[in-house]
Amino acid sequence: MQANQRSIALIAEMIHTASLVHDDVIDDASSRRGKHTVNKIWGEKKAVLAGDLILSAASIVLARIGNTAVTSILTQVIEDLVRGEFLQLGSKENENERFAHYLEKTFKKTASLIANSCKAVSVLSCPDPVVHEIAYQYGKNIGIAFQLIDDVLDFTSCSDQMGKPTSADLKLGLATGPVLFACQQFPEMNAMIMRRFSLPGDVDRARQYVLQSDGVQQTTYLAQQYCHEAVREIRKLRPSTERDALIQLSESVLTRDK
Amino acid sequence: MSLRQLLLRLSGYLGASGPPHRQWWCARSLDSISSVGSWRGRSSRTPAHWNQVVSEAEKIVGYPASFMSLRCLLSDELSNIAMQVRKLVGTQHPLLSTARGLVHDSRHNLQLRGLVVLLISKAAGPSTGNSPCQNYDMVSGIYSCQRSLAEITELIHTALLVHRGIVNLSELQSSDGPLKDMQFGNKIAILSGDFLLANACNGLALLQNTKVSELLASALMDLVQGVYRENSASAKALLQRQEDHCRFQDNQGYIEHSITDDIGVSTWKEQTFLSHCALLAKSCQAAMELAKHDAEVQDMAFQYGKHMAMSHKINSDLQPFIKDKASDSKTFNLNSAPVVLHQEFLGRDVWIKQIREAQEKGRLNYTKLRETIKAGKGVTSAIDLCRYHGNKALEALESFPPSEARSALENIVFAVTRFS
Repeated sequence: MQANQRSIALIAEMIHTASLVHDDVIDDASSRRGKHTVNKIWGEKKAVLAGDLILSAASIVLARIGNTAVTSILTQVIEDLVRGEFLQLGSKENENERFAHYLEKTFKKTASLIANSCKAVSVLSCPDPVVHEIAYQYGKNIGIAFQLIDDVLDFTSCSDQMGKPTSADLKLGLATGPVLFACQQFPEMNAMIMRRFSLPGDVDRARQYVLQSDGVQQTTYLAQQYCHEAVREIRKLRPSTERDALIQLSESVLTRDK
Repeated sequence: MSLRQLLLRLSGYLGASGPPHRQWWCARSLDSISSVGSWRGRSSRTPAHWNQVVSEAEKIVGYPASFMSLRCLLSDELSNIAMQVRKLVGTQHPLLSTARGLVHDSRHNLQLRGLVVLLISKAAGPSTGNSPCQNYDMVSGIYSCQRSLAEITELIHTALLVHRGIVNLSELQSSDGPLKDMQFGNKIAILSGDFLLANACNGLALLQNTKVSELLASALMDLVQGVYRENSASAKALLQRQEDHCRFQDNQGYIEHSITDDIGVSTWKEQTFLSHCALLAKSCQAAMELAKHDAEVQDMAFQYGKHMAMSHKINSDLQPFIKDKASDSKTFNLNSAPVVLHQEFLGRDVWIKQIREAQEKGRLNYTKLRETIKAGKGVTSAIDLCRYHGNKALEALESFPPSEARSALENIVFAVTRFS
């Protein structure tokens, strides 16, 4: 592995961290990864500036790699992250639109970073665009699967394990995979979704509906499909220990409980 | 919807009204202890002269610098932002006044950083070496990549301006209004700022020049650090004010020590460089890099940007002390140039004593303190410092060939160092 590729990993983590810091202010979150959030300890102003600082540091490292293609690829992530947040601000009325909207938001907020980081490292080592595409597709599918499972865990796990409070998405007014599937079985959830679970009792009722429905199972199944797709893509590369590790990684995405 | 329509509608939503007047770009980025709404009170001196300098400059660069074709502004996200900001009307979130200031200024063509970058690009002209920029298109003596850079500079500045307006929820008082308004305002401020930053990064990537990308990224880092240090001073001050009436009995000067930094002039200069000069200095340098000018030219451009920005900031800091109408700006930043210099002359202890003497019932009497400072040497030495930097900026310009653009840059310095 080249030093530059290691830098990509660094940059990806920094971009991710910067976005988490900002997201926690936006969501007024109190805990993250089992600890207090930056905004709770140091206030919102410093948290926002901290996020900006991390982003600028990532940009400097990125520029120093000196590869304009790689710079463009990772800059795309920064844009996608912001657009993903904006997508979350709005809601869709139509059920069909909602799912597409949810997947698009999931791609932008989570999968884009992984997909594009994978693509960037492949660009650094190999000139073949077929390989770049494989890397991208692996990252994209893993990323979406990861988020889907994250959304499932928000319903099935308890706060201690997750490091962040559960039913967090519902409390933020977000209708994720399990909710959207549950709504197909319980159309009465539509009204709650449209008002973003804002009335007292909405969050608990929605949670109950989800647990009664097969929303969790359907979402998990969907995540499995994405994982299979990721593995299918990565198998196009020649066998190696790294390839095995990537395949194993996709399995652990599905089986994680926090 | 066209950009013009969007801007007009936006200004209507925000209740922006009243006669147009030039705002110092520095004034709206200064976050003094009283943050919300104070930018209007800071509108500066002889508007006619400044307006003239700027509109001459705009003609030279080919079109008004306001909201240069920022593609991102025509996007869905901006309409979204506009709608969300509209919901803030009636609240006290700082984003509202920031937005008003931006819209107001854009109608009256005041994006000074971008203008300076364009001017210096034109003043430097094409590189005399092997013209590697043959493929770049040039309009009015400025390469399109340089115009793009000017936009990016403004985007970064604006993004941080917006992020500066974030409010610490734990420090809110009942006079600030409902918590949820502030939370909502924060949310929109973060998203809007991030949106602008993302567009800046995108613009930089499109320039396909990693040196320029690195320069601007480091300028962003400088700016963030500068803003962070500014905040540390004023946040403490606000907190102390709240506890004032409890601690008034404390004779150890705890209050006074917290509301004014114990910084010497050199630290102040470092901080001010970060928060007010780095962006312009590095952008000017980057503009030269884009046209493939050598290191010397790049350095001269950097020096101009740095010193001009510095004198501009000092000029802005001086406004509360040189205007006749004392009612215009009730408060002033205790970490501004004249005050820091005043403190430097008298020493920390005397200064602390003066602050204590200017307190009445636990509140600082700014009018009294202002008179105290005016009676000292802080104001005159700030004027001298302003002129010093102005001269350094002019020196840097000497290495550029004479031209309209260079004259415009000189005129900007003259306008900024005038105090009569």
